[in-house]
Amino acid sequence: MTEHQADPAIKARGHGSKTTLLAILLAVQVLCAVFFVGDVAEDFRRDGILPHTLFEGAVALALFIGVVLGGLEMRRTLERNRRAEAAASAASGAFAQLIDERFSGWALTAAEAEVALLALKGFDVAEIAGLRGTAEGTVRAQLARVYAKARVASRSQFVCLFIDDLLAAPITPEEAA
Amino acid sequence: MATQTNDGAAHAAPAWDPIVRLTHWCVALAVILNGLIVEDESLIHIWIGYVALGFLVLRLIWGVIGTEEARFTSFPPSIAAAKVHLGDMLLGERRPHKSHNPLGALMVYAIWGTLAVVVATGVMMESDPFPPTQGVSGFTAIFSEYERPYGDSEVLEEIHETAANVLLFLALIHVGGVLLESRLTGVNLVRAMVRGRRRTQGDEH
Repeated sequence: MTEHQADPAIKARGHGSKTTLLAILLAVQVLCAVFFVGDVAEDFRRDGILPHTLFEGAVALALFIGVVLGGLEMRRTLERNRRAEAAASAASGAFAQLIDERFSGWALTAAEAEVALLALKGFDVAEIAGLRGTAEGTVRAQLARVYAKARVASRSQFVCLFIDDLLAAPITPEEAA
Repeated sequence: MATQTNDGAAHAAPAWDPIVRLTHWCVALAVILNGLIVEDESLIHIWIGYVALGFLVLRLIWGVIGTEEARFTSFPPSIAAAKVHLGDMLLGERRPHKSHNPLGALMVYAIWGTLAVVVATGVMMESDPFPPTQGVSGFTAIFSEYERPYGDSEVLEEIHETAANVLLFLALIHVGGVLLESRLTGVNLVRAMVRGRRRTQGDEH
């Protein structure tokens, strides 16, 4: 259970280190640009307008334009990451809601719903019994009732009910809202 | 989580992007190094000054083209808003701020302005980071005082030193303000500036 929830956080950290690297590159570029512009300004002051200083000026300008374009690209990346995270979170919220609706549609009791959710998350009977502090026999009986109410014969069929929903109706943030 | 609207997100700190965090800590380091640690008339002082200028320029560019919370439009300088915020602090009210809070915003502009004066006068005083008289005899020369090839204007030096002292003073108040605000609101602002967005499991429920 904890593993499932840790996933998005790890992904977010992955995005983070990539964008941090981009940020550092951008900073180095700006440092170079600042130094180069200073250098060019000094050359202009000393030598006036010559082909050489003009060329240097153009290079400095190009550097700054590069910085601005890099920054814009960086912003797009950051915003894309944020939107993706928000969408993933909305989708997982929508899926949780769908599970809830299914469970109440089958008239599962609170205990059965809990067991069913744990079963969906991939825990086996012994683990569910351990988590809920009940006997394995109780869990088996509860799961049997859940399968009966959902009109399936096994756990794999039970899980497939939800997979089916996922495939039939793609879960998008718009639907969740 | 995506948009900080009401109560749920009210206690979250702003989600600072990597550029904001990088420029913040590098400028902070540069101010501490140049203001308190390295020899004032050394080459390294000049180099650190240039680096600080670079980060200031990057942050100012980012203030125009950056992420929403990094843009100037997200934290306009406003005395009135700062007064309201001060009242909130005294009354123990909490209000979510997507970017800097209004008092923090004033501090940000004050620090940038002062930093700009410091680097501008610094560059005007002795702008050559690789002076011809310095020679390339060894790296020790970088850290020690050296004879500058051109004489300096006393006025520039006065402005540079005064502004630098003001900057250190502002930085001190800034740190105090951050600690106070973090304490009052229970939001760890320092961590927000170190790690960026807080993605805890609680945010998703």
